Amino acid sequence: MATTTTETVTAPAPRQTQVRIHLHTRSDDIELPQDTGPILVSTEVKRYQLSTLVNRLLETEKPVPLEFLINGQFLRSSLDDFLTQNGISAETTLRVEYVRALIPPLYVASY
Amino acid sequence: KTHLDPQETTEGSTLQEARSTWSQHENSTRNLALIFTEHLRLVLHPTQATKMRGDFRTGKRLNIKRIIPYIASSYKRDKIWMRRSVPTKRSYQVMLAIDDSKSMAESGSKEIAFDTVALLAKALSMLEVGELSVVGFGENVTVAHDFGMPFTSEAGAQVVRQFGFTQTRTDLRKLLAESIELFRSARLKATGSASELWQLQLIVSDGICEDHPSIRQLVRRAHGERIMVVFIVVDAEAQTTQASKQSILDLQTAEFTKDEKGEMQLKMVKYLDTFPFRYYLIVRDVQEMPAVLAGALRQWFAEVVETAGA
Ligand SMILES: [Mg+2]
Repeated sequence: MATTTTETVTAPAPRQTQVRIHLHTRSDDIELPQDTGPILVSTEVKRYQLSTLVNRLLETEKPVPLEFLINGQFLRSSLDDFLTQNGISAETTLRVEYVRALIPPLYVASY
Repeated sequence: KTHLDPQETTEGSTLQEARSTWSQHENSTRNLALIFTEHLRLVLHPTQATKMRGDFRTGKRLNIKRIIPYIASSYKRDKIWMRRSVPTKRSYQVMLAIDDSKSMAESGSKEIAFDTVALLAKALSMLEVGELSVVGFGENVTVAHDFGMPFTSEAGAQVVRQFGFTQTRTDLRKLLAESIELFRSARLKATGSASELWQLQLIVSDGICEDHPSIRQLVRRAHGERIMVVFIVVDAEAQTTQASKQSILDLQTAEFTKDEKGEMQLKMVKYLDTFPFRYYLIVRDVQEMPAVLAGALRQWFAEVVETAGA
């Protein structure tokens, strides 16, 4: 018996979000060999993944430890948390600055 | 005017502003719309009937099957000629889905999106081939202009008014799922033969969307329901930015996965390599639209005819 199918089309549950990032640095020695333009990453990424990404693009033999800054703030969480905390939507291309990670000082210098 | 009409102040723009924006887009695309109309006329109207059919007293070609009965009937059964059959008139339901998300505003794609609406509305109304609807999508899907309503200048202004390009997500899954429903109900309301009704969705967007596998599945479902989905990627950034690469052609995705040892692996993938739409075109300038879009539609019709004939 032929019945007409009127099943409703349901959208699958949303999965992870992605955001475009534009990587840049002020240190000449760790500048990307070529301007990559924006790169799409999952908002779940943290410093470690971003560091892996930049090191891949730098094609260095020994990975350079890196820190990341967005709007002048160090990234200490996932991108997702950072965006939520700062009220930024994933529709924006994020300008992400990277700097060499400093080895934690053994003592705090007094000025 | 001494009072504020509540109908005229929405978060988007006032009706007056919307009218002037719409007429700017209508004016700037007027000549292009004529070119577009001619391109589309060739594609949308089948001008040549493909088959010769019998049985006529006069015609172009003899119908061989009728010859023996003709002689046997002492030349009385004389409908032995075939003629070219008249092509049936096709009708179309075209849905323009415009990306209303924030990334459109940031990439400067708003103008080209409205130009596309103006262009298509003009061309389709000149051709009188069917109905046009306009929907906006982002986090949600809204019908800005429904099928079955004439697309006048006033309708254009009303469409403009409903776009703010501020939605904070670009949910293509939702768009596709809801459009399939919209197309289903539009098909039921359509006048004329259902077999000659063609449904077409044109998505105008910067092309940045997530979860390509489930989108691909929904596109396949749409094709299964004889809805053709063409994705027009507006690559406005390709020409505006000076130094850095911004084109979608250069966009890469960094994919992080864990291997069997639990170690993180990084793979760089070209964004367009996983793009889930089978028919997509990249447009940098609205001037390119007529030829490019007509080309995509021609390819689609050719494929439809081929599969129908097989
Ligand atoms: Mg978007």
